[in-house]
Amino acid sequence: MKLLIVEDEPKTGDYLRQGLVEAGFVVDLARDGLDGLHLGETGDYDLAILDVMLPRLDGWQLLAGLRRAGREMPVLFLTARDQVEDRVKGLELGADDYLVKPFAFAELLARVRTLLRRGSRNQEPQLMRAADLELDLLRRRASRGGRHIDLTAKEFALLELLLRRQGEVLPRSLIASQIWDMNFDSDTNVIEVAVRRLRAKIDDGFEPKLIRTVRGMGYVLEADAA
Amino acid sequence: MSRRTSITARLTLLFAAGSTAVLLALGLLIGNAVEQHFIEQDMEVLTGKTDLAAHLLEQLRSPADLSALPRQLNDSLVGHHGLAVVVQDADGNRVFATPHAPFPDTLLKPAGAGSKPQSWKQAGQPWRGIATLLPTANRDLPPMLVAVAVDISHHQHFMDSFRRTLWLFVAIAAVLLGFLGWVAVRRGLAPLQAMRRGAAGVTANRLDYRLSLDAVPVELAELAETLNEMLARLEGSFQRLKDFSSDLAHELRTPISNLMTQTQVALTRVRSADEYREVLASNAEEYERLARMIGDMLFLAQADNGLVVPKREPVDLAAQVRELFDFFDALAEEKGLHLSLTGSGQVSGDKLMLRRALANLISNAIRHSPRGGSIQVRIDRSGGETTLAIENSGEPIPPQHLPRIFDRFYRADPARHRNDEGAGLGLAITRSIIRAHGGEIGVRSVAGGVCFELRMT
Repeated sequence: MKLLIVEDEPKTGDYLRQGLVEAGFVVDLARDGLDGLHLGETGDYDLAILDVMLPRLDGWQLLAGLRRAGREMPVLFLTARDQVEDRVKGLELGADDYLVKPFAFAELLARVRTLLRRGSRNQEPQLMRAADLELDLLRRRASRGGRHIDLTAKEFALLELLLRRQGEVLPRSLIASQIWDMNFDSDTNVIEVAVRRLRAKIDDGFEPKLIRTVRGMGYVLEADAA
Repeated sequence: MSRRTSITARLTLLFAAGSTAVLLALGLLIGNAVEQHFIEQDMEVLTGKTDLAAHLLEQLRSPADLSALPRQLNDSLVGHHGLAVVVQDADGNRVFATPHAPFPDTLLKPAGAGSKPQSWKQAGQPWRGIATLLPTANRDLPPMLVAVAVDISHHQHFMDSFRRTLWLFVAIAAVLLGFLGWVAVRRGLAPLQAMRRGAAGVTANRLDYRLSLDAVPVELAELAETLNEMLARLEGSFQRLKDFSSDLAHELRTPISNLMTQTQVALTRVRSADEYREVLASNAEEYERLARMIGDMLFLAQADNGLVVPKREPVDLAAQVRELFDFFDALAEEKGLHLSLTGSGQVSGDKLMLRRALANLISNAIRHSPRGGSIQVRIDRSGGETTLAIENSGEPIPPQHLPRIFDRFYRADPARHRNDEGAGLGLAITRSIIRAHGGEIGVRSVAGGVCFELRMT
């Protein structure tokens, strides 16, 4: 998967590139709008991450230019400004998602993966697995090592999300928004408690432990946990 | 030159022009009256002499008497300095003329005769005269033309000097009145100057200045009052801003000092990868908290600038509360809290914002409830207004804290550790959202607990 990043802030650009490269993407980085447009028009990218405030050509103009050139890859905007008008403008111009700085890198990663997955949606699996954990989406049943596990509806949804995105670190904000539709940062430890309870049900008394807390970032479900 | 006009200059000019016009009119009136008076005086003399001549002519019975006429006329005109008389017959022959007879030809033609007086100048001297056709006693003789004129140079002199004096007076009076007007306007506008000076002294540090209403004339009192109200509003906003920045600095100092110390201690010697990971993870948590705080504060800053409700739609409050109960379920269960909801109601507003406001209230209630306590949400509708009350069991809030509980960064218990609380912005955000929707929110202590109540339409 090849990504284009256009970001003029040197540190931000470098760390975004490093983080995304380490997450397994091929990344090109442009430092201003015109270079970004040139790369976007000539290269073949699966997704573009654009800063709004850019020298020589701002993010909106860059996006418009890309669309004029017939480039239809998903575009994610990064901005320091959280204004409703900005958001509306970006979405009107055909941006696919929007992140306000400062953002958690895990959140960016999760959104990039969501955007890339969109459109190329595979056949919905009916059964999801991790190690000896099984989730039967059709019958809404979970089991581990052949033993049935009783889950509430929300716990089931949470486990499904973690399984669907195995190996990805999911930030708390993403979990709150995907499972409970809470699209704002909450200062409570609700997610922590919910994950802890889920973990007690599927990991207590089993090996290997599947759900792991990545401190400062979020939660990940991995079958081959280190 | 600036296009702005000065009130002083305008009023002064207006005043001067007005008074000059009045004085000019008055001067013209007086001048005319005096001149009219002179004309009447002259006419009296002229008609008197004409009557005299008429009397003499009436006694002319034969052309022989005609020779006596000049002597008779001379006798009766003796002592009249500056008087000219001409008597001529129908053929234009002069029967009599004073030594000096400066009559214009038009007057001496029979057609010129009439009682209308005429004035003219002859050799630099002004004259006024009349000509009359007078019958004689002898019916065979044609009427004689008698022209009488007086030298009016002394009248003219008087009028000239009178006019000069008058114009001089008008000019001086206009200047004086203009100056007087200027002084009056300056004095009248002096309170404005005082206001200007006062306003010039207003700075961010001296917003407590107020215009004194007693020293201001009634016309300006309203303006002064409005300005004072504006200053009061500015002062209030500025004070809030100041409090806010100092709160902000204070709230940022603690986490940043933690970050700095922790990172610098970690860097003092070589450590294991696990230890580095631990430091970075701890930092990441701290950063996340900072980012959240900044996001919340930006939201509040926007709210202070008149937050607009982006999208209004009917929002079912009971449904929102149920979803939030679901969200907080794990947390409440862990604390053994009992959540209950009664009633229902609909309001018009932005679903996401209202959910955020309610979430803050519920998480606040959960945080302050003791283990095994309860949280009740009651929704009521009455008279187009919807009230939502959230009551949690627990320690009542001391009364002195109640009014400030919605202030940002305010914590009833300063000793409370900030990690188990939010940044202290949740309730402030809730109030901003409710106010943006035109609602109001309040808090009170109830028996064995605290009750937040919000009203919306």
